Amino acid sequence: MHTLKLALKVLRRRKFFTFVSLFAVTFTLLVLLVATAVLDSAFAPRAPEDRPQRTLVVTNAQAKGQHATRTGWAGYKLLVRTIPNLPGVERSALFATPRKLTTYHEGRKLTCQSRRVDGEFWRVFRFAFLEGGPFVPEDETQANPVAVINASTRDRFFGGGPAVGKTFELDGRRLRVVGVVRDVSSLRMLTYSDVWVPISLTRSDGYKNELVGDFGAAVLLSPGARPKDVAAEFARRVGAMPIDDPLFDTLKAPMDTPFGTVVSTFLDQTASGQGALAMTYIWLAALMFMGLPALNLVNLNLSRILERSSEIGVRKSFGATSAALARQFLMENVLLAAVGGLLAAVLTAVVLAGLNRSGLIPYAELSLNLRVLGWGLVLTLVFGVLSGVLPAWRMSRLHPVGALQGRFE
Amino acid sequence: MIRLEQVSKVYRTDRIETTALDGISVDVERGAFVSVMGPSGCGKSTLLNVMGLLDAPSGGTVSLDGKPIRGYRDREVAALRNAKVGFVFQSFHLISDLTVADNVEIPLLYRKMAGGERRRRVAAALERVGLTSRRDHFPTQLSGGQQQRVAIARAIVGEPRLLLADEPTGNLDSQMGEEIMTVLHELNRQGTTIVMVTHDARLAEGTHRTIRLFDGRQVQ
Repeated sequence: MHTLKLALKVLRRRKFFTFVSLFAVTFTLLVLLVATAVLDSAFAPRAPEDRPQRTLVVTNAQAKGQHATRTGWAGYKLLVRTIPNLPGVERSALFATPRKLTTYHEGRKLTCQSRRVDGEFWRVFRFAFLEGGPFVPEDETQANPVAVINASTRDRFFGGGPAVGKTFELDGRRLRVVGVVRDVSSLRMLTYSDVWVPISLTRSDGYKNELVGDFGAAVLLSPGARPKDVAAEFARRVGAMPIDDPLFDTLKAPMDTPFGTVVSTFLDQTASGQGALAMTYIWLAALMFMGLPALNLVNLNLSRILERSSEIGVRKSFGATSAALARQFLMENVLLAAVGGLLAAVLTAVVLAGLNRSGLIPYAELSLNLRVLGWGLVLTLVFGVLSGVLPAWRMSRLHPVGALQGRFE
Repeated sequence: MIRLEQVSKVYRTDRIETTALDGISVDVERGAFVSVMGPSGCGKSTLLNVMGLLDAPSGGTVSLDGKPIRGYRDREVAALRNAKVGFVFQSFHLISDLTVADNVEIPLLYRKMAGGERRRRVAAALERVGLTSRRDHFPTQLSGGQQQRVAIARAIVGEPRLLLADEPTGNLDSQMGEEIMTVLHELNRQGTTIVMVTHDARLAEGTHRTIRLFDGRQVQ
């Protein structure tokens, strides 16, 4: 306990050092906590993507020939021929990328993102319905002009009142609202939109012949099914698919976890198993980002050995062991990191609230939840120990006579 | 109280070997007030460091309370220093971040002792050196003489039997030096064994006996 009190006293008295160190610690942890909150918001199990461990996704595809390569989202044709009846799959859904559409409603110009999805989409992903329900596979086969909208779209189109049964015009069609769901953050690449309509509700059937296009698929694995086996069978089916375009002779479309799929968009669109690699990159980036200010703090602490040599000599003279001194100096650093962590947590909450309000990330629900706080705690401890161990060890090893005389061997 | 038998201390670097102490044998009996004199660089402070277990001798034996010190393991000598030895330094070595009371408390922090008992002992030590009213001041707010009295309070707060003072009046004017010597003599009368390094023959005359060193050897 007195180690803690002592650390507090030292930090209170050394105001400039404390300020410089706290600034570095707080700023670093603030950036890391905000980044963690963004990653958490994008990938943590949360409605509608609340079963990521049972979900595999296909979004990327590449058709390649001797003189041409086409890379993008998967095409509808590729998915309808390979996804149905995959062994080990309980359900599967197809969905398109969202499209930005402009419409006029009661004299007002409104823009919204519209996504075409099939009837199974609502059973693979579990949206929180505020009223009504999803459209069903029959709406898809019959191209019924129905739509599910999110709460914000309900507010914009219908002033916040009940919307089920009401109609609005989008892309030249009058759509009837069958359900209203809670807003989904735009960070959720697989599910986010303002309006969801049946896939068949389109003017052109051209999409049905595409191998590479603007579609994705999600499959919900049966309990006990091995993701690796399902992905392997899917890859086999893709490889065996006849390619009727003379420009291309090979076709690739990796099936991966939702996280792996999103990161492969930035790493390698044709490879699967990118999630683990991405996590390694993320940890490395975090460690490097923490490493720089930690090294700075190490340097600052080491340079303070000179300043504190008399104290070290005195404490050793009066009975402090090297271990007791190491504990004291480490405690000072961990306390500094803990205060920095606390400040960073408060500032993170402010920054996240600002980001949520700014509209920079549509429907962002960035929050400092328990998971983010837990990571913050881990990062804080890592930071405190990382920057404290070496200086504490060096300080504690000083010879008492040398320390009293300001000599260091 | 403390006995040195044929103690030597040699400092070695890559090129030079310096003998700071050469075959010193000293026996300081309990309750004695011994001064150590000699020219600069003759090994006075080294002798005090060896007596206080801050430095291990290169040869010979140091015995404290009849027990020879062997191995000089960090944990063991730290415990002995804490329990049996108090130090007063020429340049005080007070920690500027801490108040007077916190400085005095330092030796007690490395013992198993309740907070209340620590506070009681700190108050008693400050009272003995006449600085009760300065307990919440910081060292920089005190005069040199007051700072050395704080250092003495810190040295005696753990009630050590042996007090080692390295030129305790060296940085003080004569009046403040007198004050400090009065405190040391009072402590000695109360039973504390004191070994004091000094350049001042007048101060040495007031002690029970004087050890004279020259080039690391005992000449008297």
